[in-house]
Amino acid sequence: MLDFLQMIVSGIAVGSTYALMGIAMVIVYKTSEVPNFAQGEMALISSFFAFMLLDQYGWPYHLAFPAALVFSILLGFFLEYSILRRAKEPNILGLIVITIGIEMILLGLVSWKFGADPKSMPFPISPWESFAIGEVFISRLEMLTLLVALIIMVVLFVFLRHSKLGVAMKATQQNNIAARIMGIRTHRIMMITWGISSFVGCVAGLLIAPATMQPYMMWDPLLKGFAAAVMGGMTSLPGAVVAAYLLGIIENLFGGYVSIEFKSAVAFAIIVLVLCIKPSGLFARHYVKKV
Amino acid sequence: MKKTGFWVLAAMVAMVFGLTSNAMAEEGVTDTEIHIGQWGPQTGPAAPWGSVARGTDAYFKMINAEGGIHGRKIVYHMFDDAYNPAKTMAGVKELQESIGIFAWACGVGTTPGLAVREYITSRKIPWVGPATGSSHWIDPPNRYLFAVYPLYYIEAKALVRYGVEKMGFKRVAIAYLNDDYGKNGLAAARKELTAHGMQLVAEVPVELKDQDMKPHVMKLRQAEADMVLLWVVPGHAVRIVGTSAAMQFAPQFMTVSTCSDFPLMMHISKGLFKGVIATTFGELPDSDLPLMQKYKKDAHEKFAAKGERWGLFYYAGILFVEPMVEGLKRAGRDLTREKFITAMESIKGFKGIGGEISYDIFNPNKGYESRGGMREVFMIQCLEGGQAKRMSDWTKIQYP
Repeated sequence: MLDFLQMIVSGIAVGSTYALMGIAMVIVYKTSEVPNFAQGEMALISSFFAFMLLDQYGWPYHLAFPAALVFSILLGFFLEYSILRRAKEPNILGLIVITIGIEMILLGLVSWKFGADPKSMPFPISPWESFAIGEVFISRLEMLTLLVALIIMVVLFVFLRHSKLGVAMKATQQNNIAARIMGIRTHRIMMITWGISSFVGCVAGLLIAPATMQPYMMWDPLLKGFAAAVMGGMTSLPGAVVAAYLLGIIENLFGGYVSIEFKSAVAFAIIVLVLCIKPSGLFARHYVKKV
Repeated sequence: MKKTGFWVLAAMVAMVFGLTSNAMAEEGVTDTEIHIGQWGPQTGPAAPWGSVARGTDAYFKMINAEGGIHGRKIVYHMFDDAYNPAKTMAGVKELQESIGIFAWACGVGTTPGLAVREYITSRKIPWVGPATGSSHWIDPPNRYLFAVYPLYYIEAKALVRYGVEKMGFKRVAIAYLNDDYGKNGLAAARKELTAHGMQLVAEVPVELKDQDMKPHVMKLRQAEADMVLLWVVPGHAVRIVGTSAAMQFAPQFMTVSTCSDFPLMMHISKGLFKGVIATTFGELPDSDLPLMQKYKKDAHEKFAAKGERWGLFYYAGILFVEPMVEGLKRAGRDLTREKFITAMESIKGFKGIGGEISYDIFNPNKGYESRGGMREVFMIQCLEGGQAKRMSDWTKIQYP
């Protein structure tokens, strides 16, 4: 029973980073219907930017982390404005390929600038110190990640549902042309969307980096975040979040009771199952555009 | 007319002999150069091990600066294969068939190495010092392939023997990378424990892409292991040690030489690697051995790129090719591959900056003895600041 509880707690803990990456994917997808495969590397370069400020320039945490978050927002703006918006006759496939290209460029930049050796990200909380609830453990960093993820989810949920900008983002996704006719500056909305998504990804990156920091650190979280987003229906923020936690728990239980070899693969088996059985995702209503 | 005929004949003889001489010249060797190739991941997840190829580069440059070998300079051809066997194969083929490589040196990774083993050896091209301890290099052995890196198999046996006999551990578990590298460690641990009338209390496979180590640590903790062997990559080793600390599980961790770069491991584990015991195959970075000092001064300080660390895998790039250079020296000025093989086979008890290295006349039934290279390791323990404490002398281990 103790092991079962530990697996659930561990699943929830790891699910928080999946949730943050899933949210970042969903935000861009909601407005552009493009899964952004550069999301992981956008978070990577922002995290390494924070590392550079802390390690090489000796900035304190309270300046370096906000600076990295601002950098991530500007990066999102820049990528949307200077690359995606410039795509001629853009279609979904073309834009996906562009995001993959951006991903490779950013990864190359980080590898070139910082080298391949793993790094140690300075962080105020040790990733290896834990709280014990009875004999069930959760690390302080995981607890912080859980809290930050919950706060971001609530803020985003309220923002997207009740703010003018949030409603404009939704309108842009549902009908770009109609939104433009109604006076929404859809290009600007897209740029802001990329900025917000990059910000959320950066938060995930900053919370992953203290435990593992090397150029490939975001691959797994991105893939799991993407899996969660697909499970949740790609357009549903609460869907992606619930799916991310479910995924974390399922992975842990599968690793503990079925097969540890296939623990990581279970996420992708779930994607296949969801796409076969309920392509619109577990939590999204299937949205059909009227012709 | 008679005189003209003589000169025509003389010219023809010269041409024939000239052609014969060219035809007989060994591939990859000219009057002034010896072409040596190596692959190594400079990008991709295995890139931290790419320093091996850069260490070799500095070493060859040092040798060239000192006059080369028998009047020839080493021309070193290194390429980035990103630890991708398809790229390894493409790069080796391209260099071999365009430039003509005399011999191949090192090469990081079992899988990339296996991808080109047949190509290289079937053409009777020597390959010295694959930068991995896989048993594939000597089992079955090949006349043209000389291992240097001690087998992972003997490293695991040495660690288990040390843990059980010297430290009295009773419950040994292993977390191993679920590939050839990890399974070498697993097989040896099982074998050594069986010899002590014991068996592993937990065998936990780790997939390369796994990041969350809690399920793995839980299995180790459930088994109540008092000694855990880590046969994984450095990132996993740090995460397992860290996650164990977070779950208040504190066995003695022991690990393979691939995770024995203690300054790096201490840095990325934020100090948690302290106390971990590892096997190693080379002198420690701060060794006062004159040869180590020389390499540091004449190779690393002069030829390494700015910021290149004098770490284990950097100078392992020197260690792995020391026997090759010795073989080239012994083969003499009239260098051919056959003479080089014979010279390599004459190496006995060679001591560079690693353990003792010996080869013998090729014997397909005695791969370990004739092509095994280094058959000894020693144990070190990680101390504060990434310093290493020597726990044992060089220990020879039999295979299998």
